Amino acid sequence: MINLRDKGAEIWERANRPQRVLMAISFIAMAAALPFLGGTFLNTPIADYQSVLVYPIAMFVLMAIGLNIVIGKSGLLDLGYVAFFAIGAYTMGLLGTRTSLNTWEILPIGIAMAMFSGIILGVPALKLRGDYLAIITLGFGEIIRIVALNLEVLGRSGGIIGIPTPPPIFGIEYAFDSHRIYYWTLLIIILFAIWMVRRLSVRRAGRAWESIRQDEDAAELMGVPTFKYKVWAFVLGASVGGAAGVFYASKTLFIAPDNFTLQISILILACVVFGGMGNIWGVIAGAVILGYLPDRIRFLSDARLLVFGLVLVIMMNLRPDGLLPRKKREKALPNKDSNKDKS
Amino acid sequence: MSTSILSLKNVTMRFGGVTALNDVTFDVKEKEILGLIGPNGAGKTTVFNVITGVYQITSGSIEFQGKSLAGEKRYKITRSGIARTFQNIRLWGDMTALENVMTATDTHKRSGLVGGLFGSPISRKEEKRDKKRAQELLDFIGIGEYADRLARNLPYGVQRRLEIARALGTEPKLILLDEPAAGFNPAEKVELAKVIRKIRDAGYTILLIEHDMSLVMKVSDRVVVLDFGQKIADNTPQKVQDDPRVIEAYLGVPEDAS
Amino acid sequence: MIGNFLDQFWSLTFGGLSLGFIYILIALGYTMVYGVLRMINFANSEVFMVATFATIIIVRDVYNFTQTSEYATGFRLWLILGTALLASMVVAGVLSVLIEIVAYRRLRRMNSGILAPLISAIGVSMVLAEAVRMMTDSRPVASPRAMEKSFIGKFFDADIRLDNTIIIFAAVILLTLLLAFVNKTRLGKAIRAVSMNGNAAKLMGINIDGVVSITFLVGGLMTGAAGFFYVLKYENTSFSIGFELGIAAFTAAILGGIGNIKGAFYGGLALGLLETYASFFLGTQWKAVTVFVVLVLILYTKPNGLFGEAMTQTRA
Repeated sequence: MINLRDKGAEIWERANRPQRVLMAISFIAMAAALPFLGGTFLNTPIADYQSVLVYPIAMFVLMAIGLNIVIGKSGLLDLGYVAFFAIGAYTMGLLGTRTSLNTWEILPIGIAMAMFSGIILGVPALKLRGDYLAIITLGFGEIIRIVALNLEVLGRSGGIIGIPTPPPIFGIEYAFDSHRIYYWTLLIIILFAIWMVRRLSVRRAGRAWESIRQDEDAAELMGVPTFKYKVWAFVLGASVGGAAGVFYASKTLFIAPDNFTLQISILILACVVFGGMGNIWGVIAGAVILGYLPDRIRFLSDARLLVFGLVLVIMMNLRPDGLLPRKKREKALPNKDSNKDKS
Repeated sequence: MSTSILSLKNVTMRFGGVTALNDVTFDVKEKEILGLIGPNGAGKTTVFNVITGVYQITSGSIEFQGKSLAGEKRYKITRSGIARTFQNIRLWGDMTALENVMTATDTHKRSGLVGGLFGSPISRKEEKRDKKRAQELLDFIGIGEYADRLARNLPYGVQRRLEIARALGTEPKLILLDEPAAGFNPAEKVELAKVIRKIRDAGYTILLIEHDMSLVMKVSDRVVVLDFGQKIADNTPQKVQDDPRVIEAYLGVPEDAS
Repeated sequence: MIGNFLDQFWSLTFGGLSLGFIYILIALGYTMVYGVLRMINFANSEVFMVATFATIIIVRDVYNFTQTSEYATGFRLWLILGTALLASMVVAGVLSVLIEIVAYRRLRRMNSGILAPLISAIGVSMVLAEAVRMMTDSRPVASPRAMEKSFIGKFFDADIRLDNTIIIFAAVILLTLLLAFVNKTRLGKAIRAVSMNGNAAKLMGINIDGVVSITFLVGGLMTGAAGFFYVLKYENTSFSIGFELGIAAFTAAILGGIGNIKGAFYGGLALGLLETYASFFLGTQWKAVTVFVVLVLILYTKPNGLFGEAMTQTRA
């Protein structure tokens, strides 16, 4: 099977520094220009094109990057990722409506809350076998929603309304309908997240996660403090989810338990699996495609979850490495057998 | 006689009703090659597993450099200076040979996740140093040319040796080799014997499980024999070979094909 | 509150027991598959959900009951209940076997670790739940009442309801049959052999694929029976019922020690009672939270459950 990821990496590696900078800038420019392409074939008939760019697409991309740290990098199946998204959103909702703190001030608090709950849940749960972790996190995601549904202070089923938009930054106003501005802000957050993940993956932490994913016992016996790294992965993933939640609440101005169902966790999981677990570009591609298509093709928007479920089954059985698989390629090597697939 | 680096005292390991190790006592002395042999199911790999903390022993004690290993976390045991290889190769297949060794050398890094994130000078220096060290180890074992190949694509013999290089990456004082010659042809075995001696000469202590008698007898300074979880001999290779109890233990059981 | 609780203790206990038996039967779908494959049968919850619909379809569409129909009595009542039970079991059993073929078989042959089959099974449950949601317009579906829920006697001060009694008796019969199957028949022994040591069983010439299919079939049959009992007791269902009961039944399996039939039995009873008592004090909206807290507490404090094997990581 062709490996687009390797093709891309090859081009990247052959390029010299200015060429790389040029490539990166043009990619970012292309992403930033997307809001202006609403009139073209990209337009979404069902929802407002620019708002689709913000949610689901950019939001999915951000969350998929976060979940990828957990599941793709270190092989921990977290089925309750929505919990961290919800915690970020409710932090924004509560503090935004009851205190004078603004979005930018709440952002670090929301991230901290998500990380904190990541530790509370992760420290005991990560001692268990992988499939038990899946069930525990699944339950946790659902519990957060039920708690929101039943606590007066969180507004019960009515949720929280009147959440403030972010205050102007550098003179840029965040009007509730200026989707473009939100999109660009998210783009910056996404770029930061990509930078963080890439930075971590090439060094010691990346190797530790990779060794845990492939053979945890061997990793531990080779001196890798596996538990510590698993908690780190889990908490880092949570922090990205929390950031997405804060921003989401500040964009929609209204949140309710219904926004944070199990389905969100599964959707993000599908993005990660579809794109290619462990490879950040694959994950981004997966989130863009799965976020966009249901709004582009009318049939898909009704059967969205059904299709996503099918995606999971089909991908796992036929192409478990996803659209753009993780690294399979070896550097500078004439040997033919090196491109063999693992299965 | 030199000092002992590892000592097992009256070690017993039971799994439910099965006694895998029964009152086993022996020492590994510094800078020696100690062969650990016995018929199939004698408990050799179990010895490795109790030393490295995979299993907690039922009774007895294990001391490494005078410190008890009881209840110690597995990665800490490795960091204190004991490394092992696996009988059934357990490399990280999706990583290159070099990365496999580097993951093990990471054991000795000081910079944390945050340092790695911001590319702190310590982290950058360590990264460089580790890469160099990992390449040195691959060269030392004689597989330097395979550094950038994915572990799973390597020939079998190279994988076996990469396991040794990876174990050395943790900078151990004692290295446990679990059937490093399994599946090797005679020429490869000769080559491996040289490597094992070279490792010892570089200052490491070696505890070696091996089925191939001629290899064990050739490289070991001393041999411990297990049978049904009990130690039945502990002597020089020559004396062990003449020991009637050892001969009896091996006669009853067909020797491994290798 | 406490006084109230004591007044209602026995009727709560009966309700809790019948709920417990429903949990036991679903938990068997998890525990038997886990025993053989060491994998969580994630889609079992949706097998249960589909079985509840099968029951309703039999009662409503085959026997043409409506909300205003008169209750069935005598032989006709037992015939209706029997067909509904049988249909739910068969539908669930067949579905369960199909799920194994679609979601697990290929991955099992590829030896792909635990993550891939789990994700694949999540996909299957998603498809099932969504398909049913779309067919039912996301609304709960009520079952017409075929049987009068009369009280058949008193125990202390509690009225004994007919439906709870039927559930408890029928479940005990099913469990007895299951135990006989597992302990006495060749196939049952093969299942146990694979549970104990898959590789050894393979070497002894046991057809692993066949054993796995039978295990999914039996687990599905039990789960299907639970679907019927659930409708009998609560008289409604919805596309999301699988998730709610699934996680509770899974908790029951873990509580008793997963992979172990006896464990599912005690775990199911304990959880059924606990949940019923807790709902009395805290209100039903906290039911799921109670179950989750129990699950977390067991996994943290006694990860082996009461009878089961270790669930912490397998060591090298």
